[in-house]
Amino acid sequence: MNTYYAANLLIFAGVDIIACLALNLQFGVSGVVNFSFIIFQAAGAYAAAILSMPPDTAPDYSFQIYVGGYQLPFPIPWIGGAVAGALLALPVGVVVLRRLRADYQAIALLVTSIIANTVINNARPLLNGAAGVALVPQPLQDQFNTNANSYQYLYIALTAICVALVWFVAARIVNSPYGRTLRAMRDNEIAATALGKNPTALKMTIFTVGGAIAGLSGAILVGFLTVWAPSTWLYPETIILFAAVIVGGRGNNLGAILGALLVPVGFEEVTRLLGRMNVGPPNLIPALEWVCIGLFILGFLWFRPKGVLPEPRHVFAGGPIEEDTRWIEGTRAS
Amino acid sequence: MPLSEPMLTARDVHRHFEGMHAVDGVSIEIEPGRITGLIGPNGAGKSTFMAVLAGTLPASSGTIVFRGEDITRLPAHQRARRGLVRTFQLPSEFAQLTVLENLLVAAPDNRGESLLGALLGKRYWVADENRLVAQARGLLKRFGLLAKESDYAGMLSGGQKRLVEIMRALMLRPRLLLLDEPMSGVHPSIVSEIAGYLETLRDEGLTILMVEHELHMVDRLCDPVIVMAQGKVIGQGGMAMLRKQPEIVEAYLVG
Amino acid sequence: MSLLIAAFGFGLVSMSVIALAAVGFTMQFGITNMINLAYYLNKAGISIWIAMLGGAAFGAVFSFLINRFVYAPFQRKGTALLGMVIVSLAISLMISNAMLPIVGYFSVSYRERFSHLLHVGALALTVNQIAIIVLAMGVMLAVHGLLRYTRLGKAMRATAANPTLARNCGIPTQRVIDVVWLITGGLCGLAGVVAALDSDSFMIASGAGFLITALAAAVLGGAGQPYGAMIGAVVIGLVTELSAAVWAPDYKQVVAFGILVLVMVLRPQGLLAKRGALAAAG
Ligand SMILES: Nc1ncnc2c1ncn2[C@@H]1O[C@H](COP(=O)(O)OP(=O)(O)O)[C@@H](O)[C@H]1O
Ligand SMILES: [Mg+2]
Repeated sequence: MNTYYAANLLIFAGVDIIACLALNLQFGVSGVVNFSFIIFQAAGAYAAAILSMPPDTAPDYSFQIYVGGYQLPFPIPWIGGAVAGALLALPVGVVVLRRLRADYQAIALLVTSIIANTVINNARPLLNGAAGVALVPQPLQDQFNTNANSYQYLYIALTAICVALVWFVAARIVNSPYGRTLRAMRDNEIAATALGKNPTALKMTIFTVGGAIAGLSGAILVGFLTVWAPSTWLYPETIILFAAVIVGGRGNNLGAILGALLVPVGFEEVTRLLGRMNVGPPNLIPALEWVCIGLFILGFLWFRPKGVLPEPRHVFAGGPIEEDTRWIEGTRAS
Repeated sequence: MPLSEPMLTARDVHRHFEGMHAVDGVSIEIEPGRITGLIGPNGAGKSTFMAVLAGTLPASSGTIVFRGEDITRLPAHQRARRGLVRTFQLPSEFAQLTVLENLLVAAPDNRGESLLGALLGKRYWVADENRLVAQARGLLKRFGLLAKESDYAGMLSGGQKRLVEIMRALMLRPRLLLLDEPMSGVHPSIVSEIAGYLETLRDEGLTILMVEHELHMVDRLCDPVIVMAQGKVIGQGGMAMLRKQPEIVEAYLVG
Repeated sequence: MSLLIAAFGFGLVSMSVIALAAVGFTMQFGITNMINLAYYLNKAGISIWIAMLGGAAFGAVFSFLINRFVYAPFQRKGTALLGMVIVSLAISLMISNAMLPIVGYFSVSYRERFSHLLHVGALALTVNQIAIIVLAMGVMLAVHGLLRYTRLGKAMRATAANPTLARNCGIPTQRVIDVVWLITGGLCGLAGVVAALDSDSFMIASGAGFLITALAAAVLGGAGQPYGAMIGAVVIGLVTELSAAVWAPDYKQVVAFGILVLVMVLRPQGLLAKRGALAAAG
């Protein structure tokens, strides 16, 4: 196994883990069925590309057309990717999450994803249309030889740092009172509202946080691939991530990681192996892959809806008990 | 606030569902410190009216004043924060949260409940959390559910779910509690226990408006009682007095 | 100007196709309270091979089977609305991909067979375009008649309004729902054939874009409202074709989407409101 292959595997795994942690915060913890998840990854990737590339008038880049081109040094493109994901979450969230019924929200997000892809695909002056952007500079490429093994290790390390950072954020959210309120909203939104929670605000925050993390994952991906086009972020990509979270265990960060390794990474590898063995006609394997993913989703929802690693029960250590519980407002004894 | 002022006043409240007048011009006042009963046949509009008071459904027209403030346009979550808290006719526990977590969620004053607070870490909010856990355990002890604190709320019996909902509402320190059929789906042996808890809460000064079907429960707990039929109030007063009015008995039994 | 008139003609055709799809979709949703994302698949691919009736029949049976063997069991298991959306998306993904190796990315055109133009005033339409319009109008009338004048239609409306009450009144709601899946699947199959008639080529991949247009029409009219969907289809059909004429044909779906967003922001309950898209609160 050569270094490039290993780097490829590890970096894809890292990106998928980051994406699944974000989707778990939205879907697993908060019950926001974000069927447009992949457009936030795409936003991050495009933003990172634009921030790191020279303007499209530069000699080597004149075969593409795109807006901007700022040649900013690492880590600004990655931060910019996260910011782009968060910024995109605001308008989408305001339109979709405010008044619609939950299943309509899911459909509206799915439609948003399809349309966003159509627009970017057709509006060439924006982001080079269907061909996508290419020759995206890699992080720190002027200090390192990007073809050397050591650069692969560096990229793996950068990805790992991001995974750790995202894990830290996700863990803090899930284990906090804020995460508890999100889970309550997921279980029963109207009851949460009647207890003084503002579901729109809660959804907006987690939509934005998830958008930022998704954006970061896109930035990492584009820095490694150096190309990014509409065909890499079609809406079924989101479904793979949903399959991962469902299989791994909704509401469990570890489950999200396990799901990322089992579904997107696992399928990628199996396809690669089968592809090398030349089984069947060229379109057969990818098509069967999708059928399998659908079966995975249905099978888990039917037989094991909580996933391989179910959401952990939050248990509290013993402590004092407040004996005076006559604290209806205004009638408190003391 | 002088005791004579009503806790809540509803004036000519309407709620339509595409032409269907579920609540059709209801005006009532709720006195503080009492359990007001709301009775009427199925489909009378009781639940809809409760939802309109709590803001989980917007009113089509009319005015709702709570403790001197016009709250008609206020969203439900803000009404809850002002102390107007409802429960639901169907059990609505947070099924995948533990009993203790169900109570903790309701507490309004936890520094860790904002995104920023969560990211700042446990040290930032642990004091609030410990205080609220102690309070929640106090309530659990009082309502006899301390042993169940780590059970998933979805696994409780019907009666226990009702108690969780009431305790959850109490965590908000409500001034007016709206209970929609708190005894429905509850095993008969526990009904009387719940009634006892409600009496104690009333004696401590909590104001309650409750929808109830079992007339003997209404007799025991509620005074005054409001009777609704077909979206309208058709009578109010003490149970003894209402029983003497034939048109009310008829509407209730026939409707 | 003549461009606009031509666009108007295409608009008539589009609205007919959309109406077939949207009315089926919205009836399915209104009566079963379930958003079926696999809906557009009922027609995809297969309809190309068979004639119109075959397409409709296939759509009907297919839709019925999906409900019987997938949706209904999940619903009985207590899967929530959101879970059902995920299930239907998974199904739609599976089936479209399962069909790919069988049918491939072939596209079929019926066009050459009857492509001579007829002139109606300033409009120039092909024979099959006119056939589409007539067919759609006929089907709309049939749907109207079904809902308004037949016992089945009344049972369907009762089930849509309140399934529990309908059941208690002795309406066999399960059978009504089965029939709804048959009829709506049939409408969808028909829409598929008709769409293939209208366009140069039709393939599985066009499904998703088609879903958006039909969805926009259904939501515009107020989800669960067959008549609303008809109005929605008229609006979406005309607006998208006119926009294609004055702007760019690539953005037809984007325009439909724009309308969808506007409706969601300004009037989420749709033009003919019922308890549709708005959050239930109770
Ligand atoms: N969301 C709704 N959409 C349409 N009609 C409703 C809705 N909620 C309640 N209704 C109708 O309003 C009337 C009053 O219902 P409800 O308030 O639940 O009565 P009660 O609680 O007194 O039994 C009933 O006829 C019911 O069918
Ligand atoms: Mg009721």
